[in-house]
Amino acid sequence: MLSQVKNHHRKFLEDNPLPIRESQLIELNGVTKAYDVAAGKFMALKGIDMQVNGGEFVAVVGKSGSGKSTLINMITGIDSPTSGEVFVASTPVHALDQEQLAIWRGKNVGIVFQFFQLLPTLTVTENVVLPMDFCNVFSPRERRKRALALLDKVGIVAQADKLPSALSGGEQQRAAIARALANDPPLLVADEPTGNLDSQTSDAVIQLFANLAKEGKTVVMVTHERDLSRYFTRSVTLSDGVIVEDGGCKND
Amino acid sequence: MISPRWGKILRDLQATRGRMVMVVITIAISIFGVGAMLSSYTILMREVGRNYLGTNPASAYLELDRVDDSVVEAVRHQPGIADGEATSWVLARVEAKPGEWRPFLLFVIKDFNDLRINKFAPEAGAWPPPAQTILLERDALKYINGNIGDVIHVQNSNGQEQEILISGSTHDPGLAPAWQGETAYGYITPETLAWLGEDDTLHILKVIVKDQEQGSTVIEATVGNLVDWLKGRGYTVGEIRIPPLGEHPHQSQMNTVLLTLMTFNLMTLILSAILTATIINGMVAQQIRQIGIMKAIGARSAQITGLYLVLITLLGMVSVAIGLPFGALAGRGFAGTIAENMNLTLYSESIPMWVYIVQVLMGTLVPLLVAWGPIQRTTRITVRETLNDYGTTRESFGSRGLDGWLGKIRGIDNTLILALRNTFRRRGRLVLTLGLLAAAGGMFMTGININAAWKQLIANAAEIRNYDLEILLSSPENAEKVLASISSVPGVQKVEPWNVMPVAVGRPDGLEIVRTYPDGGHGNLALRSAPLESNFLESTLLSGRQLEADDKDAVVLNHMAAGKFFPNVKVGDSINLTINGRTAAFRVVGIVRQNMIDPTVYMTPAEFAASTGLPMQSINDVRVSLKGHDVDTVNSLAEEIEHVLEVGDINLKAVLSETMLGNATIGHIYIFIYALLSISVVMGAVGALGMMSNMGISVIERTREFGVMRVIGAKSRIVYRNIISEGVFIGLMSWVIAIALSLPLSLGIGYMIGNLSFMVPLSLIVSPGALVIWLIVIVFGSIAASAYPAWQASRLTIRETLSYI
Repeated sequence: MLSQVKNHHRKFLEDNPLPIRESQLIELNGVTKAYDVAAGKFMALKGIDMQVNGGEFVAVVGKSGSGKSTLINMITGIDSPTSGEVFVASTPVHALDQEQLAIWRGKNVGIVFQFFQLLPTLTVTENVVLPMDFCNVFSPRERRKRALALLDKVGIVAQADKLPSALSGGEQQRAAIARALANDPPLLVADEPTGNLDSQTSDAVIQLFANLAKEGKTVVMVTHERDLSRYFTRSVTLSDGVIVEDGGCKND
Repeated sequence: MISPRWGKILRDLQATRGRMVMVVITIAISIFGVGAMLSSYTILMREVGRNYLGTNPASAYLELDRVDDSVVEAVRHQPGIADGEATSWVLARVEAKPGEWRPFLLFVIKDFNDLRINKFAPEAGAWPPPAQTILLERDALKYINGNIGDVIHVQNSNGQEQEILISGSTHDPGLAPAWQGETAYGYITPETLAWLGEDDTLHILKVIVKDQEQGSTVIEATVGNLVDWLKGRGYTVGEIRIPPLGEHPHQSQMNTVLLTLMTFNLMTLILSAILTATIINGMVAQQIRQIGIMKAIGARSAQITGLYLVLITLLGMVSVAIGLPFGALAGRGFAGTIAENMNLTLYSESIPMWVYIVQVLMGTLVPLLVAWGPIQRTTRITVRETLNDYGTTRESFGSRGLDGWLGKIRGIDNTLILALRNTFRRRGRLVLTLGLLAAAGGMFMTGININAAWKQLIANAAEIRNYDLEILLSSPENAEKVLASISSVPGVQKVEPWNVMPVAVGRPDGLEIVRTYPDGGHGNLALRSAPLESNFLESTLLSGRQLEADDKDAVVLNHMAAGKFFPNVKVGDSINLTINGRTAAFRVVGIVRQNMIDPTVYMTPAEFAASTGLPMQSINDVRVSLKGHDVDTVNSLAEEIEHVLEVGDINLKAVLSETMLGNATIGHIYIFIYALLSISVVMGAVGALGMMSNMGISVIERTREFGVMRVIGAKSRIVYRNIISEGVFIGLMSWVIAIALSLPLSLGIGYMIGNLSFMVPLSLIVSPGALVIWLIVIVFGSIAASAYPAWQASRLTIRETLSYI
C-alpha cells in the first residue's frame, strides 16, 4: 500500500515539474533545525518563516554559523527540518522521503556547491550529462547536444572533453552551474559558489547567475560577499538561526 | 555512447587500478584456495574409490589348510558368493642394501592372466613373471632401490636365502604404499614359491559376497555359512580377514586429510567473505562524497546501488577468471602429489562442474551479498551526511570511553599518538580488518601448531619405546637360547623375551574374524606378552591397573584396542578373544595409552602361554636395547644379531628398528602435514594481501586530512611515518588476537584429527616459530601495505589533497 502511494507520488512528480514562474515559489513556515552536539542541542534555525517568489535572485547572508547553509539545505531537501514546513511550488519538501527527494530534486532544483564537486573521473560534458542520465530526461542523443549548449552558455565549451582536474577553479564552477542547469530546473540553489574563486572570477560567476535569474530562473544563493549585492534582487540576513533583515537590494 | 554513470564506474576502475588489482588478486586468491581444496578433494575422493574398488577387493579372505581348484570352483557356486579365487601370501625378507633386510610380502598368484579378485596391473617388464623370477609392486621397487633386471636376495620364512630376478613391475592400488608400511610387495607363481623353499600349497581363499554392499553383517553371515560348508567338506578354517568394505587401507588417513582440507576450506570461505566485506566497505566509504553529489543532482538510491553492484560483479568476475584456472591447476597438482604418495593412479583429473559453480558463485555472489549491507547503508544516508563526510567516522573522536583513554596517552612521539588514535576512528572497518587478519593469522598459526603437535606426538611415541630393535621370529623358539645368542653380541645392552600373536574379537559363532587387509597390517589386533618388569614400552594408565604376576584370565588393553575393538568396554568388564581358533573370556583390568602403537591386548607371559598353547619357555618376539642408538650402530648391530641367530639356526620373520618404525609413522602422516602447511601458506597469503588492500583504502580515504596536516606544517616524512605507524599498530593488534584465536582452533582441530587418526587428541602446542613468522609477516606486511599509499599521500600537493573527493 505504502509503495503504491510512493509510486503515485513519484509519477506525479515526474509528470508535473514546477512551473517556471509562480508567485511564492518557496515557502518556509516556522522551520527549526536542531543538531545534537557534544554539549547538547544546537539550534541552527529558530522558527524561520520565509517566502521566495519565482524569478527572484535571493542572497542569503550572515556570519559563519548563522544558519545560512542549513536554510538552503532545507529548501533543497538536503536536510530536513526538526519542525515546520517547507514548500517548493506547493510540494511539501519536508514530507518527502529520500527517494522522493532525489527524484524531485533531479528535475526541479539545480545545486551549485562551494567546492564545485564535479565527479573527478568524468569529463566536463559527462558531468553535465549525468543528471539527465539519472533522471532520464531528454533522449540519450540529445543529452550531449544539450550539455554542450549549456557549456557554451557558461563559456567553457572549449573545455568540454577535459577532466575537471584540468580546469581552473572558475571553469570548474561554470561547469558545476551547467550541470545544475542540465534538467532545466526552475530553481537554482548555490552555497557560496564564489567562496573558492578570485574576485574577478567571482564577478563573472555571479553575473552568470544574475543572467539566469533574468531568464526566469529563481536563484537562492548563500554568500559572504556583500559587495556583490548589486546583482541580487533581495537579501536575507541570518544571525544565530533567525532572519534579522529581509529586504531588497540595489537592483539595476 | 556509453552513459556517464557507467562511464564513471569504468573510469573509477581505471583511476584506482592499483587498488582494484589488489582487490581482484585478494578475491582471486580466496577463490584459488577454495578451488584448489575443493578440486583436490573431489578428485581424490573419486579416484581413491576408483583405484581401490577397481581392484575388485575381496569381501573376505579365509585361511584354509589348502585351497585347490575344485574347492574354488565349488565355492563360486555357494549361495551368496559371487566369486572366489585361491592365493597365498608369505612374509619373507629382502635385502634392500647390503646387510639391510626389509619385510617382503610375497603374493602367490596361480594365473596372472586370469586375475579375478584383488586385481593388479602390469606396469613394466614381463607379465606373467617367468619361472624363478618375481614382479615387484612399483612403489616397492623404489622402496628397495631396485630396478627391473636386478637380482635381489630374498630370505624365506625358514631363513633360506635365494637370489631372484626382478622381471617386471606391477601397480597394486589395493595395498598401502611400500614406503609407508615399510614392507615391500612381490608377486610370484606357486612354482617360484616352491623354488624359494616354501610350501607351494595355496592357503588363502578370497571371496566376493554377492550382497556385500548391504554391509559387514551380510558378509559375515555369508562367510559364516561358507565356513560351515568348508568345515563340512573337511577343510580347516583359520583366520578370516574381512577388511572394511570398499575402504582403501589408508582411507582413514585420506579421510583425515580431506576432513582437514574441508575444515580449512570452510575457514577460507569465511576469510574470503570477511575480506570481501572489508574491501567493499572501504571502497564504498571512499566514494561516499561522490555518492552524495550524485544524489544531490537527482540519482536515486536504487540507481547508485545498481552502479556499485555492477562494479562489484565485474571485480568478482575478473577474480573468478584469474582464480578459477589456477585453483584447478593447483588442485590437480595437489591431488597428483597425494596420489603419488599413496601409490594411486589418477585415471581422471576432471573436476565436477559443481566445484566451478561454487567458485563462480563465491566470486560473484559472496561479494554481492557482503556488499549489499554497506552499499545500502551508504546510499540511504542523507545527502547532507555524505557531503559532510570527512572520510572517517561521522561520530567525532572523543565520543567513546576508549577515545578518552587514548586521549590520555602521553610521553610518546606525537606522530605515533596520532597514528594510534587514528587506528580507532573507523571502528567498524577496524573490526573487519582485525577480523580478517586475525582469522588468517589464527589459521596460519593453527596449521603450524598442528604440525608441531604431530611432531610431538611422533617424538612422544618414540620416547615411550625404550628399545632399539624388535626381532620377530618365524616360529616360536627357546627363549633361553635366543636371549643368550643375542646377548653375546657386543654392543647389546638388554634383551627381553616378548611374544606376539594376531587375535580376533571372540564371536558367538566362533569365527575368527579380523579386520585386516592382505598386507596383514591396518586393522589388526595383536595379543602380546612382555616381562612384567619391562620398561621397553612405557604406557600411561588411563583406568584400572597394570598386569600383575598372579593375574589369571586378565588383560590390559591399549587405548587403540579399546577404542577400535572394544568401544564400550570398561575396566572390570569381560571380553572374548579368539586365539588360535579357541574363544575364551578375559577380564579387563586396565586400559593404557600408548601413542602410535597398534591395537594391542596385553597379558602376562604365563597367561599368554596358557591361552595360545605355546610352551612357557618359547618366544617369537625379542626386543633389544643397544648401547649406541645412532642409525649406523643400530643397523650394524642388527646385522650381527641376525648373523648369530642364523648360526644358531633361528629363523627371522622381520627385524624392525626404531628408524623403520619412525619412518612408517611419519609416512602415514606425511601427507597430512604437507596438506596442512600448504593450506597455512595460502591462508597467510590471503591475510597479507587483505591487509595490503585494507591499508590502501584506509589511507586513501584520509587524503584530505593529510592535506590539513601538511597545511599546518607536517613534512612529507611525518605523513609517511604516521601512515606506516598506523598500519603497524593494526598489524600488531591483529597478531595478538590471532594468537588468542589460534588456541581454541588448534585445540579443536588437534582433537578432531588426532582422534580420527590415532584415537588420541593432539596436544595443544603453541609453536614459537608460528608466532614469530606471523609477527614478521604482519609487521613487514603492514609496512609494505602502507608504504606505497603513504608515499603517494606524502607526494600530493596540498591543493590536491584538499580538493580530493
